[in-house]
Amino acid sequence: MSLNSKPAVLIVDDEEMVVTSIRAFLKLETDYVVHGFTNPEEAAKFLESHLVDVAVADYVMPKMNGIQFLARAKHLQPEATRVLLTGYADKQSAIQAINELALFQYVEKPWDNAALLLVIQSGIERAQLIRQLRDKISELDMAHTSLKDVQSRLLRAFM
Amino acid sequence: MAEEAGPHSVQQEVARLRAELEAVHGRLADAYRLASLGRLMTGIVHEMNTPLASILSNSAVIERGLETLEKLLAEAGGPAEAQGRRAAEILEQLRGLAAVNQTACERISALIPGVKAFARVEEAEPRKADVNAILRSTLPLANSEFRSRVTFETDLEKLPEIYCYVPSLYQVFLNLLVNAAQAIEQQGRIIVRTRREGAWIHVSVSDTGRGIPPEDRPKIFTSGFTTKPVGVGTGLGLSICRQIVVDRHGGKIDFESEPGAGTTFHVWLPLEPPGGAGG
Repeated sequence: MSLNSKPAVLIVDDEEMVVTSIRAFLKLETDYVVHGFTNPEEAAKFLESHLVDVAVADYVMPKMNGIQFLARAKHLQPEATRVLLTGYADKQSAIQAINELALFQYVEKPWDNAALLLVIQSGIERAQLIRQLRDKISELDMAHTSLKDVQSRLLRAFM
Repeated sequence: MAEEAGPHSVQQEVARLRAELEAVHGRLADAYRLASLGRLMTGIVHEMNTPLASILSNSAVIERGLETLEKLLAEAGGPAEAQGRRAAEILEQLRGLAAVNQTACERISALIPGVKAFARVEEAEPRKADVNAILRSTLPLANSEFRSRVTFETDLEKLPEIYCYVPSLYQVFLNLLVNAAQAIEQQGRIIVRTRREGAWIHVSVSDTGRGIPPEDRPKIFTSGFTTKPVGVGTGLGLSICRQIVVDRHGGKIDFESEPGAGTTFHVWLPLEPPGGAGG
């Protein structure tokens, strides 16, 4: 099954160096399209008009924290996979996120690049499977509707 | 037992009590230094986490990038055009990451003067320092921990250097910043301002936190008074801040507060220390 376009990953962290590091890593190891933001408001606006497969957000951000941002992301693109970056003291928030946001995974900082890549890869797979499933169900629905249509016409023809 | 009454024994008693009081005072000051050190470590750990994460990631990427470059350049007959372009791309990226690493390391290094200042045994002699520089070093320590809730703003006027006990001032400023951040319940701002006012340097730390209720105001600088939960506040902070500012530096410390609106702490430090420059 071929993909329409390259997988898209959104990274939000108010620390510029984190966005730079993750973007550089993904650029070297993958062909994903990476959208990096240090402002969660701008990132949320971006999600209104651009589909992504995975949204990764840091928990500690001023004005809008990672959980609040991922809640917006869930509302805007429920099929996109949500990942939270947490610092050493944030375990409680990770648990809150898992419950409230259907968080896919959380990654502790400092992160291991290979582990992060695995999470993002799985996240992309999940998002694309969900979208394909949703499309197939839609197709099935339409096929079912037109079958019923054919069926009723057939019945009318022979009754 | 017949006791000798009279001025001599009273004097002895007073001397003994004074010695005891000084000893207790000394132990209190030690306890405060330990609490301050704990505070400092918390701030440092928070602040170091991000640059370290970046350096770790970048270093791994640089290693992998170099491996890839090696392969590209080892192609038999030299790299083809496409590989040459890819190699140039990778080099560009790695250069960028090395620069980020540099910045990240500088951020960690910036913490070291603060640690040294704290770790130094109480200085016997004051030395010339820029109060703004001390403030700038303490900001990231409070900033990193609270930045999800609190925005820190600075409004620093250029100041002349003054003779001061630098480690003590670190403690005072860190204490005021952390108090301010802890007073803020949900979201809020802290504004740090410095001004030269005649013969004084005026430092103010304003927060938009819960404020100090009128009944607590007279006790604020009292040793042992705290509104923080057990384990968070020792009640020593402001009383020792006052000692440092008033007794050691000949300065003044005061505050104004409106419950529900916020609090501002003011510290004035003299341009000329008591007893003339140089101690």
